[in-house]
Amino acid sequence: MHSLIQAIILGALTGGVYALMASGQTLIFGIMKVINLAQGAFVILASYLTFSLFQMTGIDPFVLILITTPVMFVLGAATQWFLLRPLRQDDMAELSLLVTFAVALGLEGLLAIIYKTTYRTIQPGYENHSWTIRGYQVNEVRFYAFFLSLAMLAALYLLLQKTKFGRAVRATVQNPMSAQLLGVNSKMVASFGFGLGVATAAAAGSVFGLISPFNPGSHYDLISRLLTIVVLGGLGSIGGSVIAALIMGVGSALVSALASPIWSDFTFFIVLLLVLLLRPRGLFGARVRGSL
Amino acid sequence: MQLRKSKPLAARRRMIGTAAFLAAAAMVVSGCSSSSSSSSAAPTAAPLKIGISLSLTGDFADPGTAAKKGYELWAADVNKRGGVLGRQVQLKIVNDASSPDQVVTNYTNLITQDKVDLVFGPFSSLLTIPASRVALRYNYSFIEPAGGGPKVFLEKNPNLFFVQPAPVVKGGDVFADYILSLPAAQRPKTAAYAKLDDPFAAPIADNVKARFEAAGIKTVYDQVYPSETADMTPIMSALAAKHPDVVVSGTQSVDAFAQVKAMIQLKFNPKWLFMSNGANSPTEFPSKVGANNTAGVFSSGDWYPASPAAGSADFIAKYIAMYGGDQYGIDSTSAEAYSAGALVEQVAKATGKVDNATIIKTLHSGVWPTLVGDLSWDAAGQPQGEYLLIQWQGGKLVTVFPAAKAAATPVAPKPNWGG
Repeated sequence: MHSLIQAIILGALTGGVYALMASGQTLIFGIMKVINLAQGAFVILASYLTFSLFQMTGIDPFVLILITTPVMFVLGAATQWFLLRPLRQDDMAELSLLVTFAVALGLEGLLAIIYKTTYRTIQPGYENHSWTIRGYQVNEVRFYAFFLSLAMLAALYLLLQKTKFGRAVRATVQNPMSAQLLGVNSKMVASFGFGLGVATAAAAGSVFGLISPFNPGSHYDLISRLLTIVVLGGLGSIGGSVIAALIMGVGSALVSALASPIWSDFTFFIVLLLVLLLRPRGLFGARVRGSL
Repeated sequence: MQLRKSKPLAARRRMIGTAAFLAAAAMVVSGCSSSSSSSSAAPTAAPLKIGISLSLTGDFADPGTAAKKGYELWAADVNKRGGVLGRQVQLKIVNDASSPDQVVTNYTNLITQDKVDLVFGPFSSLLTIPASRVALRYNYSFIEPAGGGPKVFLEKNPNLFFVQPAPVVKGGDVFADYILSLPAAQRPKTAAYAKLDDPFAAPIADNVKARFEAAGIKTVYDQVYPSETADMTPIMSALAAKHPDVVVSGTQSVDAFAQVKAMIQLKFNPKWLFMSNGANSPTEFPSKVGANNTAGVFSSGDWYPASPAAGSADFIAKYIAMYGGDQYGIDSTSAEAYSAGALVEQVAKATGKVDNATIIKTLHSGVWPTLVGDLSWDAAGQPQGEYLLIQWQGGKLVTVFPAAKAAATPVAPKPNWGG
């Protein structure tokens, strides 16, 4: 029983970090119907950015999120503007897969040149601290990361629901043509939306670098997990991706602790297969195509 | 389908191999007769060309570069001493980008186009296997510092010599020796095994487990995890729940760091902790897990800065003179590559000859002292020795077993994390 509850705690905390990455992924899909295969690579890029900034300045990695987020936002918006926007609308869905995959490979190569393939971790000194609560170990960093994820997701929600920009984004998601007729600059919105999705990778990257070792090739494992999460949650649904991330986090931790670690990552793919077969729109797939 | 196809190919290869063997044998015969006369005219002798393919880019770029440093240090060193039998050593190092296809092309070119006198091995078992086949085909000796996986020795290549004290899978045997040397009352009663699914990790722990179980140490946890496991905490939490006295981790590098971090986070401190790899890296381990968390962790190795081998201090001094840095920045791969060269030097000294047939024949008998231990090989090139047991004490790796080579006694039980 103790192992069971400990595994649930560990899984839920890890799930929180994945929720942050997946929310960006699903936002990008919601706005542009683009499956961003570079999201994992953006997360790793943000991890390296945090790693370098932390080494140079000694500023706490959580504080560095304030710097990395705008940088990643600009990078994301630029990626959309220069690489995805020129694609023809008809070929968008297929070609964007290739383009974002190329971006991922490009980032991986660039990082391998700069940082080599050695694994890195961000170590502010408190990364291994845990609180003991009734005999259960709760890692501080994961705990902060979990609540940071919730805060970021709340901010994202407010931005989309309560601001003019958010309304423009949602309008573009529902019907780009009508939105444009009503004066929404949907090209700008698409670019900003992509930037926003990538910006969530910044926070996720800082946290990911604290809890696991990473190297330029780490994005492959990340993106396969992220895709499972967004498919399970329902492509385009932010709330769905959060719940899916928690389910997957807890699920894989339970399998790892109670059955075998070999099957732990496999659970992701079994879930992916089952969802695609039984409920292709995911747990919380948008009923109206395109709502967030 | 593939089998049928491969037969004629294999037959053809064998024919080429036979032809190459005859040619090589002829060269050896002529080489022998001329070397006796030319060895006296040392200063004008032709250079000794040694061809090596290394991974200078790609997955093995870091260890490949470390091997390059070791080879080049040996070449510079031996040339200062007047070369091998008066012949200056010339290394021809080419890049294989960590590709098993490119490595075959490289060694074929080195042997047939560049007509090098000798070849040394590349980095990793993955590349050593195809490369060693090329060497065998042309009847070149194949002294290799970095291909110690089981599949390398399944080739039963009589020309191959692995320059480490034992096959990689035996990396943990010395820890089992140490534990079983303890009086029965002091031995651990229960053991847990957490193993990376990798031919260089899991089998090491499995060998220890077989020895422990035979001695009555009960297995309470035994799991393999895949290499993409990013989060080690669920695994270590299940392991910790079994309260084992000793933890044997079949690790590579990054997973070792993750295991330690997970144990600290879970506040689990076993009485003994052995990690097959990762913990034996003098700089990476403390930098990845925190210097204050290293105390008491066991690992094994062949060369490390505190190595008891003769010539180790000299090697360190020369390395630093050539590349800068300090002794803790020296990768054991550099020492292994250096030792590959040193073996050729010893054979030349013992026999007065430096050709492939002599090297193969000579190394198959006797024991050869090197930086990485006293080496001897079976017919398949498997070294017959044992690694040394090392432990983190006072922030440094020290040799603790076997007693004859130990610089300190093993510390057990393991001090607390952070202490």
